[in-house]
Amino acid sequence: MTLFQDTSGDPRAARSLVADVLAWYGAAGDAAMGNSPGFAARKASLACAFAQIADLPEEQRHALAFAGLLHAAGAIGNAAYRKGEHLAERAARMERWDVPAQGARICEAIAALPAQTADMVRWQAEAWDGTGFPDQLRWYGIPKAAQYLALADCFLRQGDPDEALRGIAFDSGRAFNPEDVRTFTMWFHRHGGQAELLGLPIDSLDERHTDAGSLLDEFADRIDAHNGVGARWRRVAQIAGVTAKALGLPPDAARELGVACRIYGAGEIDDAQVEEESFDPLARLGVDLRAGNAASAAELAQPHAALEAASKIVGMRGEWFDGTGKPYGLSHKRIPIATGILAAAIAYDGLDRGERLDTAAGTQFDPNVVRVLLEVAKTLA
Amino acid sequence: MIELPERTRRISPSRVHEILLAHDCKSVVDPFMGLPTHLNYLKRHGIAVHGGDLLEWFVRAGEGIITNDLTILRDSEVAELVEMLPGRIYSLDLFKAWEGVFFSEEQCVYLGVWHDNVHNLRSDQQTGLAILGLWRVFCYWLQKAQTPDDMQDVPPSELAWSYIRQTEQWVTPNLRHNTVRQGDVLATMGAQKADALFLAPPARNSFRSADARIWMWEAWWQGNPYFTIEHAYRDSLLGARAADPAAYARAMQTILSAAESYSVIIVQTTEQRLSEIEPIVTSARANVEIVAPHPFEIYLVATT
Repeated sequence: MTLFQDTSGDPRAARSLVADVLAWYGAAGDAAMGNSPGFAARKASLACAFAQIADLPEEQRHALAFAGLLHAAGAIGNAAYRKGEHLAERAARMERWDVPAQGARICEAIAALPAQTADMVRWQAEAWDGTGFPDQLRWYGIPKAAQYLALADCFLRQGDPDEALRGIAFDSGRAFNPEDVRTFTMWFHRHGGQAELLGLPIDSLDERHTDAGSLLDEFADRIDAHNGVGARWRRVAQIAGVTAKALGLPPDAARELGVACRIYGAGEIDDAQVEEESFDPLARLGVDLRAGNAASAAELAQPHAALEAASKIVGMRGEWFDGTGKPYGLSHKRIPIATGILAAAIAYDGLDRGERLDTAAGTQFDPNVVRVLLEVAKTLA
Repeated sequence: MIELPERTRRISPSRVHEILLAHDCKSVVDPFMGLPTHLNYLKRHGIAVHGGDLLEWFVRAGEGIITNDLTILRDSEVAELVEMLPGRIYSLDLFKAWEGVFFSEEQCVYLGVWHDNVHNLRSDQQTGLAILGLWRVFCYWLQKAQTPDDMQDVPPSELAWSYIRQTEQWVTPNLRHNTVRQGDVLATMGAQKADALFLAPPARNSFRSADARIWMWEAWWQGNPYFTIEHAYRDSLLGARAADPAAYARAMQTILSAAESYSVIIVQTTEQRLSEIEPIVTSARANVEIVAPHPFEIYLVATT
């Protein structure tokens, strides 16, 4: 069974799937860097608006949209942000300089992306005067599109648009090419400093060589490595998948559960704690943490159509079968069966001795799910 | 007003690093290093780097960010650099020749003061950092002369302060022995052994169109506003053969012949020059892979 519904014969649907997965990973990158939700989409839109004023060729504008979306992709797995790393400020700063190059490597490996995307990501933090990173390029060695990303980033990080305008004017000839600052100023005065969110140019994606499911697998691997729980989603997906089959879950629900297994780890990517390191999976003390991580993961996935159904499964995984879980206090049949399977599979994976899951049957987990899961776990073992 | 070229060569050290890693190279020699910010990147990523150039200020800057593992300039030391110190006699007219042509009177005075202050620094590493930081001020001024309305007036000492302080962030050890030297290409290659040789050779006749921000800073460092880049390149291997295509090719062949001990040679070039460079490289090495991400950033990766 494929992870997403078959889109053969409908290239636009296939592109939409790939775009959703990319946008989700871009949002996860933002979470890793501590950026506000939606930062990547705003950055992409703003940079494209500058590019339009400067009359950059359409193909560059399309690449720019995806580069903005994936601007923080390199933060996932970067030592400055990775879980469990405790670097001194100076060392962390140097590691952060590598985020653009690491992001570029990720983009280079995604055949669907427009060709110039990777280098726009690579050089988005370069400064006109050569003091940027990672490559310390200077002057016209920095592509215009990359400068637009830098301008958009700078603008969005300032809360007040007028303050941002002053800051960018001050950096003209330093961080930014004076010509590009002129473009920015023109945009600012035309649009009053208000950035309009643009849709992704999904038709510029080449879906033929990129499968959305494989892409999601790869991203989930990266997120698990970032969280210090290598290949966790694969173990959870395996046991959840077999349990779902044994329980006779319909194919669509099983598919959504498969997606949920891949995206739930993103909830732990920002400052939130990794659950296994904090509380026993069966302890009531962890209920807030689990619900918080579940909500974060759902928030990241919910805006993307391909992941929306899975986001609902993930968002409720902090609920307890007896109604004492969070955030809604749902109980019994009001908790979707796929959510129950996901929650039990995650807990099972986090336990030293999986059979202990039995002690939480009827309280934290659906007893039927626990029974079936423990049975299939024996056969898998 | 001086003309600032639109296009300079682009070396992406993160990409060069990827190439070096792919070939398991842990050290590199770059005999045409120029401003060695790319070597600083490689150094930060654990590669032992050895650079060389004919221009002294590049080498000095290299002493600041390549051979230097821990020396920085403290606030008090920067303060003594950026302003005139009481009791010291300054050659305020040293750069008067540039006044009204490239710079204002105040800027020329500052260039003289900084020249004297930097030459009075006791540490080579600190001198390198100061040269690099002040060069950025110099570039800012030249850029501002082009687009005066688009850039803000920043007091010279304030600008110098911020740029010199900024250089500190590039200072880092990599637990390897890193070197820079002033000399021609063959001398640099002979002085060091490494896994890879990185070559970004100047184009034929390129010194005639060299970026003013490069050679004028050498003039500043030398304290000679009449310095021209021909002085530095006249007796060099490629400079002496600058006009004749065949002689230029022979000089490149000489370099590649001397590079037999390197397991990997990476030659940076552009699409425009590829037809000239590629045959020279392919005649020297059996395996040549072309990494061409952009028309003005092409790498020929030659292996044995």
